[in-house]
Amino acid sequence: MSGLIDESAGLMDGHIHESRARGDDFDEGRDVNPDRRQKERRSRPRPEHAENINDGDINSGPGPAGDQSAEWLNDQEELRYGAQHVIKLFVPVSLCMLVVVSTISSIGFYSKKDGIYLVYTPFHETSPQTSTKVWNALANAGILMVVIIIMTIGLILLYKYRCYMVIHGWLILSSFILLFIFSYLYLEECLRAYNIALDHITAVLILWNFGVMGMICIHWVGPLRLQQAYLIFVAALMALVFIKYLPEWTTWVVLGVISIWDLVAVLTPNGPLRILVETAQERNENIFPALIYSSTVVYSIIGTVNNESAGSSSGVQMDSPGDTESGFVPSWREEASERESARRRAMDEEEVQIRPRNSRSHNDVANELGLGDGEHQGDDQQRRQPAGRSPFRIREDEERGVKLGLGDFIFYSVLVGKASSYGDWNTTFACFVAILIGLCLTLLLLAVLKKALPALPISITFGLIFYFASTLLVAPFSDSLAVNQVFI
Amino acid sequence: MDLSKVKDDRKLEICRLYYKGGFAFLPFLWAVNFVWFYRDAFQRPAFEEQKQIKRYVIFSGIGALIWSIALTTWIVIFQKYRVDWGTVGDELTFLIPSGSL
Repeated sequence: MSGLIDESAGLMDGHIHESRARGDDFDEGRDVNPDRRQKERRSRPRPEHAENINDGDINSGPGPAGDQSAEWLNDQEELRYGAQHVIKLFVPVSLCMLVVVSTISSIGFYSKKDGIYLVYTPFHETSPQTSTKVWNALANAGILMVVIIIMTIGLILLYKYRCYMVIHGWLILSSFILLFIFSYLYLEECLRAYNIALDHITAVLILWNFGVMGMICIHWVGPLRLQQAYLIFVAALMALVFIKYLPEWTTWVVLGVISIWDLVAVLTPNGPLRILVETAQERNENIFPALIYSSTVVYSIIGTVNNESAGSSSGVQMDSPGDTESGFVPSWREEASERESARRRAMDEEEVQIRPRNSRSHNDVANELGLGDGEHQGDDQQRRQPAGRSPFRIREDEERGVKLGLGDFIFYSVLVGKASSYGDWNTTFACFVAILIGLCLTLLLLAVLKKALPALPISITFGLIFYFASTLLVAPFSDSLAVNQVFI
Repeated sequence: MDLSKVKDDRKLEICRLYYKGGFAFLPFLWAVNFVWFYRDAFQRPAFEEQKQIKRYVIFSGIGALIWSIALTTWIVIFQKYRVDWGTVGDELTFLIPSGSL
């Protein structure tokens, strides 16, 4: 479920425009060839186009002269910016995995199986026979997938018929549960693991403050860093829940199946996520930012000293939402939807555990939330636009960044966390590196293909290969090497 | 959200809402408010709303400080006398640490 990326294309566009706006100094350092540069500039699209252009438009420069070199340069620049953003994404993804891995290895609660599982996984793999286990895992994964697909379709229907309120409510409810109930469990298990006494008053105060701040940051306005931190934490919590409450083999099967679903949902012509994105584009709306992590890099500077005048966007929650519309939107949306779906799943699972009944409503809420927000953003944009056009656009371009759905965060972390729950650090690191490599490749593809891509398939495939290779082959091999003291 | 894009009047609004929200036993909100708007309140050339923002930021900072002092004091007292308080102490405890052999 993740739509990983999405906007990178938009991203890149933004950067390109940005560099243009700024002038040469920006690229001077790197650009050895001034002539080329100029051509490139000429051929680049005007800033005005930028807003509604898709990525593909970048190369549709007017000037026939120097097209090739211009394109080449464009690609170069895009790759370069892409690389920058890859690194920007590495940090949050690594942080999320770090939270999960450290929790798994320090708090036994999350790796211990106490016979309680999600409602969606009725087969508990208790049989000692491998064939039965495989069958159970496949059945569980199938059920989970059906739930996810239904949720996704439900979300799309809600969005199509503009039930923003429902979506909004759903999202708020889901984040509420995550921020309060799951962080309550987390706090309790943390304290238990370290055997720390805490009084009720302080505990309530901490949870209240933490939860409310999170709700404000995610759904209203808050410092960007804090919002990102909350999103990472929420994703980590969700991943922990999956690790704890999914049966062993099911987890691995689910990871595989979900990345396939991700592929289908994002890339198929009639894939639900694609439909969602297209609808959002038609309506010129943004999908809720709460479900997407954006690497938004703000390039300060430029001539706009008066940021305020430029940024007339008062109500905009996201830094990038405005940008989204221009180039990122599609990918963004996809991610958003993916995230939402991921969330839904998460929510479902949560619901299952906590309150099995409400799970559905939960999911809906989450989905809706995202959409609802999108609406709001659209409003904001409308408001903004009259205020100050040209400066605004530039700014928007500046702010673009790669966006990764929270769902991607969750499933990356599930993989690494699951790998670490067996206590083998080699395997954990192998999975970690594999996922980051997969992410790099996905982003590279993003730069090349310039459309929204699913973030899960490559990374998860690599992760699974590395995991099984290192547990089944590398670990025994190195063990036997160590036993025989080959290295001494 | 990124503050640099936001207009001053909106900033004031956000700052005020954060400040007011802090009264609902939300010192964290005040702390965030203080840090978030510190630059606007103290390190920027004067602008129309700055006076008010400054006031809210200062009050938020003071509130957060008082809260953190009070909370720290309470935690210290609690940890120190929890066992002495007997039943009351146990009732107050969210998580009673287990002993080890």
